[in-house]
Amino acid sequence: MSITPTEWAALLPLIFPTLGACLIPLMALDRDQATAKWIRGAMYLVALAAVAAGFWFLTDLWKSGAQPAFHQLHMDRLAQFSGIFVLVAAAMAILQSWDHFHQEGWVKGETLSLLLFSVTGMMLFTATTNFLVLFLGLELFSLPLYAMVATVRHRAEGAEGGMKYFLTGAVASSCFLMGGVMLYGLGGSLDLTLAAQAIRAQGLGADPMVMAGAALLLLGFLFKVSAVPFHQWTPDAYEASPHPIAGFMSVATKGVAFLALLRIFPVSLLGMGAAGARMQAALAFLAVLTLVVGNLTALVQTNVKRMLAYSSISHAGYLMLGFVAGTPAAFTGVLFYLVIYLAMNMGAFGLLTAYGLVGEHTTFEDLRGLGWKRPAMGFAAAVFMLSLAGIPPMGGFYGKYMIFKELVGTGHVGLAILGVLASLVSAYYYLRFLVALFLQAPSTEAERLASDRPAVHAPLAGATVLVAAAIVLAGGFVQAFLADGFAHRAVSEGLGLLR
Amino acid sequence: MTWLNSHPLTFLVFAPALLGLLLMALPHSVGKLTRLLGFLGALAVFVLSLAWLLGRAPGSAPLAEHAPWFALVGLPVDYALAVDGLNLWLVILTTFLVPLTMLGTWNSLKDRMGTFAALFLLLETGMLGALVAQDLFLFYLFWEGMLIPMYFMIGVWGGDERRYAANKFFLYTLSGSLLWLVALLFLAGRAGSFAPAVMAQAASALPFAAQCWLFVAFAVAFAIKVPLFPLHTWLPDAHVQAPTAGSVILAGVLLKLGGYGFIRFAIPMFPQAAMHFARPLALLSVIAIIYGALVAMVQRDIKKLVAYSSVSHMGFVMLGLASMTVIGTQGAMLQMLNHGISTGALFLLVGMIYDRAHTRMIADFGGVATKMPIFTTFFLIVTLSSIGLPLTNGFVGEFWILNGTFLSGFGWGRAYAVIATLGVVLGAVYMLWMVKRVFWGPVNPDEESGTQHLHSDLNAREIAVMLPLVVLILWMGIHPRTFVAVSEAPVTALLKDANAPAIRPLVLPSAPESGPLEAAAEGHGPASHEVHP
Repeated sequence: MSITPTEWAALLPLIFPTLGACLIPLMALDRDQATAKWIRGAMYLVALAAVAAGFWFLTDLWKSGAQPAFHQLHMDRLAQFSGIFVLVAAAMAILQSWDHFHQEGWVKGETLSLLLFSVTGMMLFTATTNFLVLFLGLELFSLPLYAMVATVRHRAEGAEGGMKYFLTGAVASSCFLMGGVMLYGLGGSLDLTLAAQAIRAQGLGADPMVMAGAALLLLGFLFKVSAVPFHQWTPDAYEASPHPIAGFMSVATKGVAFLALLRIFPVSLLGMGAAGARMQAALAFLAVLTLVVGNLTALVQTNVKRMLAYSSISHAGYLMLGFVAGTPAAFTGVLFYLVIYLAMNMGAFGLLTAYGLVGEHTTFEDLRGLGWKRPAMGFAAAVFMLSLAGIPPMGGFYGKYMIFKELVGTGHVGLAILGVLASLVSAYYYLRFLVALFLQAPSTEAERLASDRPAVHAPLAGATVLVAAAIVLAGGFVQAFLADGFAHRAVSEGLGLLR
Repeated sequence: MTWLNSHPLTFLVFAPALLGLLLMALPHSVGKLTRLLGFLGALAVFVLSLAWLLGRAPGSAPLAEHAPWFALVGLPVDYALAVDGLNLWLVILTTFLVPLTMLGTWNSLKDRMGTFAALFLLLETGMLGALVAQDLFLFYLFWEGMLIPMYFMIGVWGGDERRYAANKFFLYTLSGSLLWLVALLFLAGRAGSFAPAVMAQAASALPFAAQCWLFVAFAVAFAIKVPLFPLHTWLPDAHVQAPTAGSVILAGVLLKLGGYGFIRFAIPMFPQAAMHFARPLALLSVIAIIYGALVAMVQRDIKKLVAYSSVSHMGFVMLGLASMTVIGTQGAMLQMLNHGISTGALFLLVGMIYDRAHTRMIADFGGVATKMPIFTTFFLIVTLSSIGLPLTNGFVGEFWILNGTFLSGFGWGRAYAVIATLGVVLGAVYMLWMVKRVFWGPVNPDEESGTQHLHSDLNAREIAVMLPLVVLILWMGIHPRTFVAVSEAPVTALLKDANAPAIRPLVLPSAPESGPLEAAAEGHGPASHEVHP
């Protein structure tokens, strides 16, 4: 069987990271100490090259407007959007991990390889409506992540966090599989869109089996976006992982789960009729729960990474509200939100690396007074935290603005009020980050310890932080360009929702 | 230059922020140079604002800029700026107070003074932007953005409780404006635009209950900023903990934005609802006037006393607005300027004595007059203006407000005016009692007391800061027309124009006994109530 050029175009974005992922372990075979340094550099270069190749290819594809497909793999605008999204997150994670692993004294090539496999899985996950391919993508990006959480083997939390993530993740995956099987059994097609049409045609919309199938399918997604009550793994996994991996997980896992849901939800789930409406109601309920639990729990955290974990849970709540509104404009808002969320969360986790906080030293106490030491980093930190809190003129405000506007417009005023109250609560713990950075002087003991340690040198992580800050600010000042040129087109041309 | 000719407001609004960002990039080691550059920049903005806003030929078209900015989720947002009668003097007050405050607190900060100057300039952009914005979305951006520099100014350079005060200030204000945002989104969704006129039209089509809810959402956001009792609790904390410059600008401009929000947006957009809520607003204002004065009376800290006096004075502003009369609203406009000048000056003076004595406790002073005669003179003049002595600015504003309330034709008007007048008396009590304890009498004999640490009177820089303020206090007291003439037409339009058509006739018959007086007040406007011969 021969593959036509357009089919290659759909496949290539996935092939680049796969190639990189396969090459890197080969290099790690050499254990000679003298050459280790060069090998290490080469591995990072290969990983970056794989990501960059995918990125350039996808941006070219985006510019040309082509939407190629290879059987069940649809490299349409939405898939291109999520591909670019994931690759940018991966590039930032790779750059940050170079600095972070050197700080930890634990540089291993397999992490990069796993990361690239995960990237491939994510791109696959968002590019299809076929249930089997979807499940393949889900597992391909999840399994490497379980291992990546436990990367730093000599830390006890590493193994614990990884195991916890793996066990709960396995249950969620099997639920997802079960749900898909139920829908397949009733709808008679592995393609979820066709299955939904069949279910609707047969008038099975309110059938308990369909309801259960749709619910289980949704559960799989909600686990990945860490919505309450499927969120318990999040703080432990983030705390256990190296900072760049935690950042990557918080952004990419959540991002692709929402992007894939965006492909499935309006067409397949809502397309089923009664079951879809129920799912939307359940989503509204869980979004409220997520916002309340996520924000209130984040308030009492003393560890920055756990705070960011709960903050990422609460952000899932805002994004779910976008699905509750369910209008094309709200989906545009969700995509815009994700872009800004990528920048601010990768930036926030990157800050921890840039400040050289390794291991357990990620409490608010450890941040005290750091904002003044490196003004550029401090400025970026202020940008991220204010944006996470949704304060204008940062990009995060516009994401919330678009979602809340659609919520109000679709008559969910109560949900919008709850949403703004949640972001009021969130402002408190984001401010706490800034309080530690700027408003508190470092303790004398910390000063003494800092003078003993060598100066932190994290140029790559610092660069990613600045790039992320620039993206967040761009989201605040040229928001229309990002929203119309990027998010809106992914929704309209990829999903065909606005045509 | 052609760009500048067509975009003077853009330049005035954003030049401080650009300079501020530039200064922020300068290292801490050149903090003194940064501070100087910041001051010169702010001064230049003041001079330009005078030249461009006041130096215009009479009768020329009002300054305005309008361009589409972006459209998200189907809602266009316009970049619309304008200076008109309602905000002209508030803009000038802002550009005036910023360099003045910088000069007045030149040596107050010991470290990171460059960053402080940079934040101050960013704050100036926020304030000016909020004042001139004619699109509610734009207004909201500036309104919220303003919080960020102020948060850091209080939190980094403030007193011992600065973190608590800064967080409280930030979250309190944010809570009001977030709920307001929902109301804004609701109304903008109906109107399809953020232009106030279009939104007002959409609002008038809504059922009355919905209008009331929207008005309440607007009013709460603005009332927190004013601050109106019982939403004032952030103010004493923020004022006392903020560094002098922060307190001055907080009292001088930030609080005004709350009152300005009522005049510019809340009342014209929901005239019926505003009418409906006039009584509760007036009641809260009267409570604020009396309560603020009573609490101020028992303060031991001079700065806290001034902070509570702000609650009382801003209560007058709100009372004037709630009276829904031209003279009352004009009084409120003037009172906002008065309060900016007098309370700003008081905070500056408190800062000056604090820099010398490192205490602000009333009990630590006594007999300051013998040690610092020039300082005492200035303090006394400002105190008298704050009390509202005739010939100073405070008198005119309060008189108009009380007059407007008395003649408003509302059933409660007379009673509230009488009670509020009590606030003027109480104002004299707490201010003069404080002056007596701090300045008069024998020098405090305690070696550790504040008075013993006062080794120098005001220097030339400090006198240069106070003189323009005193000149303004007298000018506004003797010839207030300079400052309210421009706002007369817009205020009259606001209350009588198509926005509030059915209101006046509904109200007038309810108080027939005040008919002739009412007519007089209506007919001649504030000009006929000027106090000077």
